[in-house]
Amino acid sequence: MRLGTESVGRWGLVVLAVTGALGVILAVHGWSVRSTDLPRVTLGASRPVSAPRTTQPPAQGPSSPAHSPSADHRPLLRAQPYANVAYEVWPGTPSAAAKAALTGLSVSVRRQGSALVIMAGVIGQAAPTPRRYAGGARVYVVESSLGDDSGNTDYNLGDDALVVTDAKGGIIQ
Amino acid sequence: MNRSERERAALAAVSWTPTIARILLGLVLAWFGYHELVRPSLWTGYVPVLSPTSSLATVAVLAHGWVLLVLAVALIGGIAPRVAAAVAAVLLLEIVVSLTISGGLSDLTLRDVGVLGLAVILTGANQGRLVLTR
Repeated sequence: MRLGTESVGRWGLVVLAVTGALGVILAVHGWSVRSTDLPRVTLGASRPVSAPRTTQPPAQGPSSPAHSPSADHRPLLRAQPYANVAYEVWPGTPSAAAKAALTGLSVSVRRQGSALVIMAGVIGQAAPTPRRYAGGARVYVVESSLGDDSGNTDYNLGDDALVVTDAKGGIIQ
Repeated sequence: MNRSERERAALAAVSWTPTIARILLGLVLAWFGYHELVRPSLWTGYVPVLSPTSSLATVAVLAHGWVLLVLAVALIGGIAPRVAAAVAAVLLLEIVVSLTISGGLSDLTLRDVGVLGLAVILTGANQGRLVLTR
């Protein structure tokens, strides 16, 4: 078979056909795991922060939500496939890797009673809506590949996410 | 090294350089193609216009990864390498334009310009060694 000035023989076609079939198998696998890679949360989206509930006991500590039934069943960050690319950005000073993971992102955290109020968004885009994480203790930025960051721009936000955990490391949804 | 040895070395370089270049380009395409196929959700952020969380973006990434994988094997195996390089050049041009529009010129974009240049050169280069024509 001729392709322009080049010819593709029988073996060439066989190799390409086998590769194409392998690609289809990999694509089917990729499609089946498309929702299991990163937490599909955050970076500016969704539930707006609510005003602090005045009916809550004022002395309620950060660890108290962890005793609720839902807190006991939270998935642990360390058990997630993306745990090794989750960089802690709060509390404390972010590490160099965490700062690199924050490229192109804007994350601000403040404590409000036992909850964390987080504004996470993309630099240069509309101001993110604050979100409230009851029982939040730590904030992580997930960045699967630092190779898509350049200067102050993150070219691929598809591999970025924000994860908030309680004091036990359970992910707060 | 006498003159005949130098000429022989130059001839070897002429015949092997395109082969080495297309194998290296093929490895680049294979790496990206494989990763786009097995973890498409990490790449949907690059799809222009579409929402990264949409199914259509995932399908676009999977299709792109499939094409890259086939092109990679064509380049590495020497199966119509100039045609494969030409198609790769078109894909890389689209990537460069898309990255430039979304984030401007940067080290990331210019790195892809270099890979685009390699693909363009291979489009016009002789086939070199290790070509599967049968």
